[in-house]
Amino acid sequence: MKIEIQGECLRISEIQELTAVNSAQFRQQVNAALPGSPATIEIDLAQTRFVDSSGLGALFAIYRATAQRDGMILRLLNPRPEVEQLLELTQMRQLFDIMPR
Amino acid sequence: MKALLICPAIRPAVPQLSEDGPLALAPILGEGIVSHWIEHLALLGAREVRVIAADRASLVRAALGDGARWGVRLEVLAPTVEPTVAEATARYRTAGEAGWLPAPHDVVLMNHLPGCAGLPLFESYATWFAALLAWMPRALTPARVRMTEIRPGIWVGRHAHVSPQAELIAPCWIGDQVFVEPGAVVGPGAIIENRSVIEDEARVTQSWIGPDTFVGPMTALASSLAWGSSLTNWRTDSSLQVPDPFLMCSLAPPAAPAPEESARAGWAPAAAVISPLKWLGSWREPAHRTQNSNPPA
Repeated sequence: MKIEIQGECLRISEIQELTAVNSAQFRQQVNAALPGSPATIEIDLAQTRFVDSSGLGALFAIYRATAQRDGMILRLLNPRPEVEQLLELTQMRQLFDIMPR
Repeated sequence: MKALLICPAIRPAVPQLSEDGPLALAPILGEGIVSHWIEHLALLGAREVRVIAADRASLVRAALGDGARWGVRLEVLAPTVEPTVAEATARYRTAGEAGWLPAPHDVVLMNHLPGCAGLPLFESYATWFAALLAWMPRALTPARVRMTEIRPGIWVGRHAHVSPQAELIAPCWIGDQVFVEPGAVVGPGAIIENRSVIEDEARVTQSWIGPDTFVGPMTALASSLAWGSSLTNWRTDSSLQVPDPFLMCSLAPPAAPAPEESARAGWAPAAAVISPLKWLGSWREPAHRTQNSNPPA
């Protein structure tokens, strides 16, 4: 996983999978990197081939953390079709601003 | 009167439909395609039907029996390759022989449902779903006394339990022994096959739920074909295996082991010693770890 800060944008990418194995670590690392001031957070899911309920839980936790901060924008970028299907299945798609591939 | 029915063997555009059985037995509103066709031919006057099944003919034979259910004499033939209509006519029908149904009902390739020739079943998941929706009002044939149209465009099967707090929106089809729990919304354009469960607050629209499928609480299925834990979006052809059974899973009992597998079970103690060595030698990424059955976009 790669975390970059570009100006006021926090970008997380190169996530191979989001599962029970790495979701806790993912949450910790992203929470630690969350900027204090209004900013944009982009989670690039282009390389994410596998997500389970723990991974969805991690994404939801980040959604909640950003929703509590005024002006902070959270975007999911380039989700693969099957990850998008999972977001639709769990009705989480409506929570996120999703930028398609 | 006689008729020939050619079962579709492999159709690459819809692999999910033939994962666990031949396409001829793929469930459509409670029956396999081949059953709908035999019933149709019997109503046209056929008394002798030969079914040509190149894919898993033994399963087709076991499912159909001798045809007494439809009042016909049935024979299942098992060529190695699916014949065309012309090939089947040449091979299985004597030229000029009387006693056959008039064309085109004499030799039928089951690429569509009876009376729906303009709606091909297997060109894509989208055409499959469109054909099912079109078939819904026709599926209530005289032989299906157990299905009831409770409101216009809403059919409910035998021993189905629909909560008074669930919402059914036409057109929709609730199969036999289906459970629809409180707060669930089914339809429009929903087909729930036999013995499936739609849990509390789940939403199913423009989707087909295969038999013995559990759809968990709060899940939302739209433009989907769901069967067991397999989920396919019929608009995009994207497929995944849903990883968490509380979202979606199969309720079907595990298949009985094949006879050769039962025989092997007697060697279990020896296998327990040998298998770790074999496992070390042939480790590979477990198949369930990938969600994408399609090539990367």
